[in-house]
Amino acid sequence: MSGRDPKLVPPTLSEALRRLSNREDRGFVFVRPDGTERFCSFRELGVEAERRAADLHARGLVKGDRLAIAVPDPDEFVLSFLGAVMGGVVPVPISPQLSFKNIESYHDTVAHIANASGASLLLTTATTRQYVDPIVPRAPKLRGVVTVDELGKEDHGKVDVAIDPTDLAFLQFTSGSTSRPKGVMVSHRNLAWNSESFMIHGLAKDSSFDKGVTWLPLFHDMGLIGFVVGTIFTDIPVVFLPTASFVRNPRIWLDKIHQHRGTITYAPNFAYALVAKRLKDKDVADLDLSCLRRAGCGAEPIQAKTLRDFAAKLAPAKFDPKAFLPSYGMAEATLAITFVPHSTGVRTDVIEKKSLEGGDAKPAAGIEAGGAAADPSMHHADVQELVNCGRPFPEHAVAIVDEAGNRLGDRRVGQILTRGPSVSAGYYEEPELTADAFKAGPDGETWLYTGDLGYTVDGEVFVCGRLKDMIIVRGRNFYPNDLEWVVSELPSVRRGNVVAFSVDVNGPEGQGEQLVVAAEAFQADAEALKEAIAQAIVSNFSLTTHDVVIVPQGTLPRTSSGKPQRRKTRQLYLDGTLGRARAVQGKDGQPDDAGASA
Amino acid sequence: MARNRTELLDVFRATATEVAEKDFHAVAESSTIAELGIDSLGMLEIIGSLERELRIQIPDESLAGIVTVKDLLNAVESRQSVTS
Repeated sequence: MSGRDPKLVPPTLSEALRRLSNREDRGFVFVRPDGTERFCSFRELGVEAERRAADLHARGLVKGDRLAIAVPDPDEFVLSFLGAVMGGVVPVPISPQLSFKNIESYHDTVAHIANASGASLLLTTATTRQYVDPIVPRAPKLRGVVTVDELGKEDHGKVDVAIDPTDLAFLQFTSGSTSRPKGVMVSHRNLAWNSESFMIHGLAKDSSFDKGVTWLPLFHDMGLIGFVVGTIFTDIPVVFLPTASFVRNPRIWLDKIHQHRGTITYAPNFAYALVAKRLKDKDVADLDLSCLRRAGCGAEPIQAKTLRDFAAKLAPAKFDPKAFLPSYGMAEATLAITFVPHSTGVRTDVIEKKSLEGGDAKPAAGIEAGGAAADPSMHHADVQELVNCGRPFPEHAVAIVDEAGNRLGDRRVGQILTRGPSVSAGYYEEPELTADAFKAGPDGETWLYTGDLGYTVDGEVFVCGRLKDMIIVRGRNFYPNDLEWVVSELPSVRRGNVVAFSVDVNGPEGQGEQLVVAAEAFQADAEALKEAIAQAIVSNFSLTTHDVVIVPQGTLPRTSSGKPQRRKTRQLYLDGTLGRARAVQGKDGQPDDAGASA
Repeated sequence: MARNRTELLDVFRATATEVAEKDFHAVAESSTIAELGIDSLGMLEIIGSLERELRIQIPDESLAGIVTVKDLLNAVESRQSVTS
């Protein structure tokens, strides 16, 4: 952990916002769902944040107290988040309810985050209040619920709270390997270093003309740090769109880039796929995207084909494919870990799929890497094309290690580790989970064990998948244990007889990961059970199942201690032989499947 | 022009079938969105398509309580009376 402050940005977020107090003509534009826009200059953001900070202190909160924030409107969210930060109060963003499923699972999530963070106050809006009020009796430390229109109504003057770079800036809750999200502790120093890293070293921002445009949800790291925090540290204006507006009408994202002459945007793979699929050629005709010089991609596995399809669709709008900026990161590292050099576009590595099974990433013979357009061999079953995610930032490092923790050389697949001043100190009040993920690496220093598998080529990182079989569908993370547990609750399924895994398919949203569930049951009611399993998954996780396979009792591959083996099951599924015969028992305690029925 | 309830259900069925690329022509009003196997992003896509087809706008705050097809059609119907 570096004890130094970065050189190119202020040492804290509060100081960064104060330094923008003379910016009356630049700031954030918030587009409302009805299309109207609210402009908030950096000066106004600072003034209103100070006002809200004073109100929070008048309500009895002091430096270090936690404030849970479940606010759907981007403007109110940003003002309240910054208000907490200016007052030294630690904001804890929570997803606002909008899921078309039963409310109970949402209540469970909110109650857990309120308790795990020890929040003393929950901030919401008049319309969202009804979805969070019911959890109050379940959160004993919570002193009350306040709506944003009550906050800052009365003038409480100004509070002067000294903020140190080592102070906790906010808690970023992320899904865990159980159904329990955990709070990543992000300090001001983490924010400063990561902002300098991705805005200056990564994006090479230019405050004289750059402008961000985003619809990313602000309760997640990519939207919040990428477009609220990083931009305040570096004086970059941003246009914010409601997430729901983008999904309903993907065109609005590009319309706003066109209209506001946006230069920087960022999105997960699925969003680029959604645009490529939904936009009609006539929608593209009157767009001019020549202004867009950075189109970042991250947060879920990146498919080269998706980005090529997007570029082809938007070519008439003068979209420059060199604007694509693939990257890799996670909340535990504040946000960004690696970036490709800007203006280099999508570069890929085509490897032999077979070699991956042995832990090598062997280049496929005779196929040129580098993302040449639709080479039919790219989709050949024997090869896999991976997107180059670039290298770590100055003062940061990445290492690939094997299961024993030894550093691996180029083109050897292992767990990705990272270290540097952007890396969090750990999970809030979770010493065991922290010790698991933040621990000594090959050089004895503390590294973040990302749980992701990947390899390097000349120091550039390629991500292969998740060590623990985490399933990522359209930017959302799911852990097989959680999915399997829910399916196991169905009357005709027994615990330990279910395996959940993801496969890469070309579905309605283009190339992407989709969920497959395999369960052992009697064949007689297979059809009805398939329906029931898909419904159980969608009602608990709001997740669509790509395929359900009902196999005869005893045919899922297992370790000798009886635990189903996920990776083996997935391989049999891909080979088309799942459920055909009683599987041969594997060795006990195979590391990749150790948790399958835990 | 405002459409009656039967027509609205038909519009929903056709839109969902087109957007989600699954056959939803037999869907009943009483079905929950979850039962149909449509996730939250897929549902928002369908709603966006409905909004364009019917030239209405459903405010975000009325989306949060939608659990069944009937809830959705109620929200659509109330916007039709506002917009037309």
